[in-house]
Amino acid sequence: MAEPIISIRNVSKYFGDFTALEDITIDIRPGEIFALLGPSGCGKSTLLRCIAGFETPSTGDILIDGKDMTEVPPNKRPVNMVFQSYAVFPHMSVEQNVAYGLKMDGMSKSEIAPKVAEALEQVKLGQFAKRMPDQLSGGQRQRVALARALVKRPRVLLLDEPLSALDAKLRDAMRLELVKLQQEVGVSFVMVTHDQSEALAMADRIAVMKDGRLRQLADPVTLYERPADAFVADFIGRVNLFDVTGRAPFTAKSLGALELPPGAEVPPVGDLVLAIRPEYIHLHPDTSGPIPAKLGDVGFQGDISVVEVTLSDGRAILVQVEHDETPALLALPLGAPVSISLDLTRASVLPVSDA
Amino acid sequence: MESFRSNIRVFLAFFAPSFGWLVLFFVAPLVIIFLYSFGENVSLTEVETTWTWRNYSRILEPEIATLFWRSLALSGMSTIVCLVIGYPIALVIATARGAWKPWLLLAIILPFWTNLLIRTYALLNILGNRGRVNSGLEWLWERGYAALDAIGLNATAIMGEDFEPIIFLGRWSGVIIGLVYVHLPFTVLPIYAALERLDRSYLEASLDLGASQWRTFRSVLIPMTMAGLVTAAIITFIPMLGSYLTPALLGRGQVDMIANVIERQFKGANDWPFGAAMSLFLLYVTFIILAIQAFASMRRRGADG
Repeated sequence: MAEPIISIRNVSKYFGDFTALEDITIDIRPGEIFALLGPSGCGKSTLLRCIAGFETPSTGDILIDGKDMTEVPPNKRPVNMVFQSYAVFPHMSVEQNVAYGLKMDGMSKSEIAPKVAEALEQVKLGQFAKRMPDQLSGGQRQRVALARALVKRPRVLLLDEPLSALDAKLRDAMRLELVKLQQEVGVSFVMVTHDQSEALAMADRIAVMKDGRLRQLADPVTLYERPADAFVADFIGRVNLFDVTGRAPFTAKSLGALELPPGAEVPPVGDLVLAIRPEYIHLHPDTSGPIPAKLGDVGFQGDISVVEVTLSDGRAILVQVEHDETPALLALPLGAPVSISLDLTRASVLPVSDA
Repeated sequence: MESFRSNIRVFLAFFAPSFGWLVLFFVAPLVIIFLYSFGENVSLTEVETTWTWRNYSRILEPEIATLFWRSLALSGMSTIVCLVIGYPIALVIATARGAWKPWLLLAIILPFWTNLLIRTYALLNILGNRGRVNSGLEWLWERGYAALDAIGLNATAIMGEDFEPIIFLGRWSGVIIGLVYVHLPFTVLPIYAALERLDRSYLEASLDLGASQWRTFRSVLIPMTMAGLVTAAIITFIPMLGSYLTPALLGRGQVDMIANVIERQFKGANDWPFGAAMSLFLLYVTFIILAIQAFASMRRRGADG
């Protein structure tokens, strides 16, 4: 494994009584897309701002290329940021915006011009060089912000909620384009997002944060398949969580006794939940399955359907159904008796997150 | 709320009082002054409108022209001082913590709650030859003199025989200090509003791209608050131009501005037509300044969009 580009070591940040970050340790590797993911107020933006130098950690260190950044002001750090609002200077043309950072490095005009042209070409804004920002769309302004940051050849590009200000369709296109751009320039991206699907689709690795703490750091597949706790399981994708009691076998109120496959990892102590994703629950359109249920809403999504069923104790859960099986369900009346079976080999028993 | 557009009686009920007020107390006096400005004194108390241009041509006489230039220069210099002092003040307030802001703004507005005459007399007390500033300086001078004496140097040769007070009153410096003091809130508030509207991330983006704090101030903060600065300059400059009390008291009759001379025409000199012509000329100057500003901002907007 190559040396990390950024080392975040035991970083905590307090604003008065409020703990924004608590003992965060993360290494960012060269050439990866790294996502800081969490609900609003989880500290992910504060951490990004600590890397950029706009906030100073209360304790702990941030190292970039092995050098301690504590005393280094933002204008001297080898990282650049794409702001959530883009912050494209409205009184400068596209070209002047992109040239701004190079001018600050003391480059001559003749050196700057080709670099600016190349950066604008890279984000497909070549013909917009002379435009003023208020003549551009939101998506184009974002490209200016990207070009402006990348032209500085930063060691790491920081992106604060890069897609949140775009409309849904553009957002999907921009996801792919950002990943392509990253592969092209080879610079590590650290992006902050509250959108789990965005993080799963784009990032090589994801740090899930909540209340200033790091809950799990893993690649998207691991995060989805083996969440560390109930919070992560719930935050990433869809999941059904059941409080369980007892040990070997576990019992859940609405499911009865649960025989986990041998070798299943189970936390030794504390309150536990069983987490099972909708695609690992099978829905029988009759009462042939082991667990009886009543049919609720069928959410038809084309390739799949997400169906709500109600268990005997009134608890509603989500079940995923393949396209082929959907018509049979749609034919049944609301509240029809059905049944489910769980694929317990794909379920996990997790600690309750707020422990 | 839209009904006033369609119902003429509702419209009139809302419109008539303010319209009547403006006609009676603004338009009518202005018309009278306008007529006076083309008039001549026919007796001690009567003015006849003869449509003469003599009152206006007198403004171009060197003595009066100098007076106008002096007013423009004093107001211009005071406005620049206001901008230089006011911008940092506005910046401090705009970047202060939320709980502090209302108190700091209050401190800026507080002087308005005291009568201008009283504040100006207070300035006389501070700036006079035996005022607070000079007695403070004199105290320092005496200590310095004694100290030099004590270490055996010839204090008189270095610092002179007596303390020489700095003379403010009756000089440009005194009037400028007075004008700046009175009008500073007009400068601070529009700049503060412009700074408050500015998204902080522009400044962070500039720093992030490698600009120093000073460079960010010069290349991002100032250009992006230019509209506020222009507004501040204009609403500071225009009332300064018509200042009466400040130059009257702090200028001691030696640094007259237009308003002081206009007052003299209406009272001592009993030349109402000339006073009227000067008043209107001041109004025209103000209009021209506003027109230039409007034209400039139109062109700026035209260049952007």
